[in-house]
Amino acid sequence: MSRTLPQAKKAWLQRRRLPWADRAFWATTALFAFGILLLVSLIVYQLTVSAWPSLTKFGLGFLSGTTWDPVDAPGHNLFGALPFIYGTIISALLALLIAVPLSLGVAIFLTELAPAWLRPPVSFAVELLAAIPSVVYGFWGITTLIPWSRAHFEPWLAHSLGFLPLFQDRGSAHDMLSAGFILAIMILPIISAVAREILLAVPSTQREALLALGATRWEVVRRVVLPYSRSGLLGAVILGLGRALGETMAVTMVIGNSPQILLSLLRPADTIASRIANEFTEANSPLHLSALIELGLVLFALTLLVNALARLLVWRVARRPEGTMHV
Amino acid sequence: MITGSMTDIRPQDQETLVGAEALATPAIAVHKLSAWFGAQRILYDIELLVPPRRVTAIIGPSGCGKTTFLRCLDRMHEVVPGARATGQVLLHKQDIYAPGVDPVLIRRRIGMVFQKPNPFPTMSIYDNVVAGLKLNGVRRRSLLDEVVERSLCQAALWPEVKDKLHKSSGVSLSGGEQQRLCIARALALEPEVLLMDEPCSALDPTATAKIEDLIHKLKRDYTVVIVTHNMQQAARVSSLTAFFYLGKLVECGPTTQIFERPLMQQTEDYITGKFG
Amino acid sequence: MHKKWLNAALLVLILGATALGSGTVTLNAAGATFPAPLYFKWAETYNKVTDGAVQINYQAIGSGGGVQQTIQKTVDFGASDAPMLDRELKQAGATVNNFPTVLGAAVPTYNLPGKPTLNFTGQVICDAFLGKITSWKDPAILALQDEANKQLLSGLNDAAAKITIAHRSDGSGTTFVWTDYLSKVCPAWAKQVGAAKTVNWPAGIGGKGNAGVANIVAQTPGALGYVELIYAIQTQIGFGKVKNAAGNFILASLSAVKAAAAGTKLPDDFRVSITATPPDPGAYPISSFTYLLIYPELSVVPSMTKAKAQALGQYLCWAINSKVKGGGQTIAPTLAYAPLADEVSAKVVEAIRSRVKFDGQLVINPSKPGFCSR
Repeated sequence: MSRTLPQAKKAWLQRRRLPWADRAFWATTALFAFGILLLVSLIVYQLTVSAWPSLTKFGLGFLSGTTWDPVDAPGHNLFGALPFIYGTIISALLALLIAVPLSLGVAIFLTELAPAWLRPPVSFAVELLAAIPSVVYGFWGITTLIPWSRAHFEPWLAHSLGFLPLFQDRGSAHDMLSAGFILAIMILPIISAVAREILLAVPSTQREALLALGATRWEVVRRVVLPYSRSGLLGAVILGLGRALGETMAVTMVIGNSPQILLSLLRPADTIASRIANEFTEANSPLHLSALIELGLVLFALTLLVNALARLLVWRVARRPEGTMHV
Repeated sequence: MITGSMTDIRPQDQETLVGAEALATPAIAVHKLSAWFGAQRILYDIELLVPPRRVTAIIGPSGCGKTTFLRCLDRMHEVVPGARATGQVLLHKQDIYAPGVDPVLIRRRIGMVFQKPNPFPTMSIYDNVVAGLKLNGVRRRSLLDEVVERSLCQAALWPEVKDKLHKSSGVSLSGGEQQRLCIARALALEPEVLLMDEPCSALDPTATAKIEDLIHKLKRDYTVVIVTHNMQQAARVSSLTAFFYLGKLVECGPTTQIFERPLMQQTEDYITGKFG
Repeated sequence: MHKKWLNAALLVLILGATALGSGTVTLNAAGATFPAPLYFKWAETYNKVTDGAVQINYQAIGSGGGVQQTIQKTVDFGASDAPMLDRELKQAGATVNNFPTVLGAAVPTYNLPGKPTLNFTGQVICDAFLGKITSWKDPAILALQDEANKQLLSGLNDAAAKITIAHRSDGSGTTFVWTDYLSKVCPAWAKQVGAAKTVNWPAGIGGKGNAGVANIVAQTPGALGYVELIYAIQTQIGFGKVKNAAGNFILASLSAVKAAAAGTKLPDDFRVSITATPPDPGAYPISSFTYLLIYPELSVVPSMTKAKAQALGQYLCWAINSKVKGGGQTIAPTLAYAPLADEVSAKVVEAIRSRVKFDGQLVINPSKPGFCSR
């Protein structure tokens, strides 16, 4: 080849074009990466500084305290986050409990079972659900879900499962269960959309390998598709959990906003994000504001913890026989 | 590239001419088989007899329908959305396309090896081999152990993997070993027919040679249909060769005859490298 | 609701920016959401009154935010439903003027068959909100009602008579008025709960905004809650009468609310709670002022200029002076806000004339007072 090139061009070939470009590229991307780290640290720092009055005043008692009394007067101004932590975790778990089987079912149906013509409209509908703003879900919750739940679902629950403490002492249906429902509907499209992508990424050769051994569709899903994609699916669930933990508007509208720790799902409760949104703009005192920011820190830590646990879970699940592919 | 001379064909293959008695009791008889992807027609009224305990090679240029044909033989073609097939495929005289026939049961009787090795990454070597048996509800440990050893021996993989059956995954093996594992997985069900879709196309020459050796051994017990784009391979392993072109079966006959004295001009052009 | 107002504010901002020409003065303000619709209307009208010379951008970020931004001097003036506390004045480093503009009121609303207009006392409301009274058939409630309502309430079955308390979940001036009133009339409330924009509710379900509370009440048979009077009037939900200090059961109305402020002895700095005070036999007892927050020496606000200070002074008088024809006080009732009584208005105008300065000079020229004319 080089013989056909003129001499001048040969010299040009020997030199590297824009020798600094690689390093500049490296530096730019590194800057972005560290920028994110810096940003996160700054946010944590800023939150900690703003939460300092509350942090020093209540210490660990903030996490175990069950009273949230923001009145700026002697004998009041007490802040304990436990009911909010409890409400956040329980409502999110409840949402997962409802949404995970449903959304995995939708994703499996869409990728494995549905006839080709049915897939685009159903996928589109699922993605459309994800695009609905949360306040609309909240609105639907208070105008449709809650009246229905109060009139039909919760009476039935209390009647048939009322012997369980979970379903006792029902009230107006502004409660933990409604919050779980709304959250489930909100995270369903996220989980199913991501799960669908994950399932689509399972090579068709994997499915065909088992089909060719004489497997039914269900056996293919259970023995090949799900095991192959389990860590990815767990990731999809974690995404949904993340949204459930941080959701504010829709939850506020249906949960009843009462910071209490009650076993019954048919009683009002409250979550961290919802309480912050409710009180932040109209805090009664600097300590109140500081306590709300500390609540934010707690949510941040909670999310971090959940993500860490999820990573651990993914790592454990992904620990397969030696040489296994990590998906 | 093949040059027309048949020096690549090994002497023992010359003996395995297909006798009339073999074709009188075919393992598979294909009659008027057509296949489509949506509106696009892939196969046109294929007629073919596959003799038992022989290797039948399907050759032809890319897109000629040879893989589709193979997949029609165990009703795998239809698993792709929009794909369908018509006609008759008699597997030991039973029409697998007759109404009421469960394709799942048909596939249990026919083994298939794919173009790219596709062991299950989440299963150990052992579990890969017994995957098909477990589908059939076989749970007895001693039986499974026995089948694993027999299948891996038949697939000439036993010595390499016998010490890591449980602790290594199917994908920890090399490409050639993976493909032999896939063959063992198919053999574990003792299929009546073994279909192989370009089983060596993703492998290096050494691994290819091992698989070809294996095919030679397998034909004593199994009916093998192999799709290949490699004409030397067809010549080396098969006793019967069918040439497909543009969705039609152009010519089918004993391998030596197809390669040395093809009857059709298209076949001759293809095996002499004029196209394809 | 919040969002709508924010959007409106944004729109005003954008329109303002495009209309910004020479000679235009722009005043930036932020604060309470309760009077925001009125303040937007005022800004729009005043812009026309001045032929576009004065542009007022109001951001409804909440009373707390209004006070904070006032303290930080990031706005030309702030707005709050509650007067600034001593502590907040100290933070601001000045005796910031708290000028009342209009009045608000909180009314008890409930879900009972037949939509009766019930009578309440502070004590009964207090006991219900403390969770001590749990049934509409409680003798304490029945004793207050006329014969027809007494029969109606006693006829309820136990499930229908169960009281479910609905309260605001978000911090709000309405909650402040409500709890301020309860603290005054009910020692147990003062001791256990207290008065604030958000409190530690002893019972009930929280709803976000007036709409949230109204929704809970509308959907829950037997529910008892409270909403801002304007919201109740605009959405036409029924509400009950409350016994005032003179011993009369008063149905809240603009005039009843206006009357609550009329006879109250106002302190010089206007920072006063007018709940449960006995000025007038027709006064509604759960009323309050909403305020604009104005520095006495405007030059401490970095964005302030002399021209802006003078424009602000005139605007305040236009909004507050009930003698101005077509001014803010005349507009208020059209949006269901209770205007200031004439004597209150006059007193505030005097304060504007004498307590707002720029670089040591009064911003209202006594010889040319404009809208601040007596």
